Amino acid sequence: MDRQRRYRWGGMVVGLIAVLMGGCYSNNCPLENSVVCNYYFYDSEGTAITYGDTITVTTLMPGWKTIYTYRKLGNVTVTKEYQDTALVNQGYTETASQVRNDTVLINQLSGASSMEVPMSYYHDVDTLIFAYRSISLKDTVKVFHDSYPNVELPECGTHRFHTLKSVTATDAAIDHIEINNPSVNYDGNENIKIYFNGVAQ
Amino acid sequence: MKNVIHIISLAMVLACCLPIKAQEQEVEPLMPGESPKPTKYIAVEDEKEHLVFFQGFTLAVDAYGPIAYLVSDYGTAEAALRINLKNTFFPIVELGYGKCEKNDLNTNISYKMKAPYGRVGIDINMLKNKFQDNRLYLGARYGLSKFQYDMSGPAMVDPIWGGSQPYDFKGIDCTSHWVEFLFGVEVKIYRNFHMGWSVRYKREISSTKSDYAKPSCIPGYGYTTNSTCWGANYTLIFDLNWGKKKSHKRGINVEIKDIPQENEEVELPNETNKEENAEEKESIENTQEEDNGEETDTDDEQDDGEATEE
Repeated sequence: MDRQRRYRWGGMVVGLIAVLMGGCYSNNCPLENSVVCNYYFYDSEGTAITYGDTITVTTLMPGWKTIYTYRKLGNVTVTKEYQDTALVNQGYTETASQVRNDTVLINQLSGASSMEVPMSYYHDVDTLIFAYRSISLKDTVKVFHDSYPNVELPECGTHRFHTLKSVTATDAAIDHIEINNPSVNYDGNENIKIYFNGVAQ
Repeated sequence: MKNVIHIISLAMVLACCLPIKAQEQEVEPLMPGESPKPTKYIAVEDEKEHLVFFQGFTLAVDAYGPIAYLVSDYGTAEAALRINLKNTFFPIVELGYGKCEKNDLNTNISYKMKAPYGRVGIDINMLKNKFQDNRLYLGARYGLSKFQYDMSGPAMVDPIWGGSQPYDFKGIDCTSHWVEFLFGVEVKIYRNFHMGWSVRYKREISSTKSDYAKPSCIPGYGYTTNSTCWGANYTLIFDLNWGKKKSHKRGINVEIKDIPQENEEVELPNETNKEENAEEKESIENTQEEDNGEETDTDDEQDDGEATEE
């Protein structure tokens, strides 16, 4: 009887240890590990909306680049980042100009209620240019922020987190803009609210 | 977390109360008008031994920590001093020095830490027979370490805007708290030298957070991959109780044969009045002998009387 009881207790202890050890040695790296600033869209009265227009977001980069503009009377003006001799042969007039480097962060986003925009690691200000399909004017959004490195665990690698300080925007299609959560990390917070002109039907 | 601690502490308190409950004796209630029954106290030799409350100190050295450092990134050097109370309760203080040098091959991020740590807690010997030198115990600990760590890695390159900076931080301050629950066994090897092992379930309570890095390894706790982890100790134990009497017998050798009358208070004999009881017994025996002598005399006189009548 004693032996049976001893075996029973031993079995329970071994089983308990096995259950507790089941979740012990696992990688604790975050599954969602991209650090992006989350923008959510609202109408001018603060109602969450799905923005109907197509948005393309570009950002200004350090450095300059040469832009070639080709004009011909009665034809559409063509702008290219490289020289096109074929257009010159067709009678176009070529004009070279220096402009700030830029890159496309989000290309033709449509029917979205939010968007994720990466942030610069070593700049205090990110300048974003919002271009719309239905509006010829563009909006310029400036995001002021601090950045710092973070390592959760050595096996998870390094990430760059950001703290938003302030944000400004022009008023082509944007009514106003505000910071909702200044911590930009991989928690997926709603960081910035963009209030577009107009009221949702 | 608080709930778990509450439940465990409540369970421990209830477990401590069990022996008290076992000491209670059931007394039959008296019916109305019924007087207490006369009791016959038969004292027999009490063979039960009682342990001395303070059994001495125990010094323990961990042998697993240094070996772990030789075969892995993390190791400890640890010693413990504990008090042996009735060979059942062992309040304990553990002090150690932890060291970790880790370099992840995939990310090429290195982590360095070396610092002291401390734990306080209690072990409870769960064996029924407390007189034997082997012990099987359950225990709990609270651990604390205040330390600094270094973390460095390859330069971080901005993939869009460009630019890079090295990732190198030294002397990040951190204070960590944790609790441990352990199960262990120790056996006597030679005289006061014991050896034993324990398995520890550890749960981190809190650690100071830095913006730049989280400690990958805490001295005395181990790796912080999860908020819980397992640890083990293999201890060399020296009982520092030479010359200390382990136990003493407490019993009575006096036997009372008389049944006390109703409402007569029974004075229970104890060790101090053994001699008095012995003297009383002798006096009783003497008086009985005298009574017997008188009885025999009267019988003779009666016989003489009968003879004269005849």
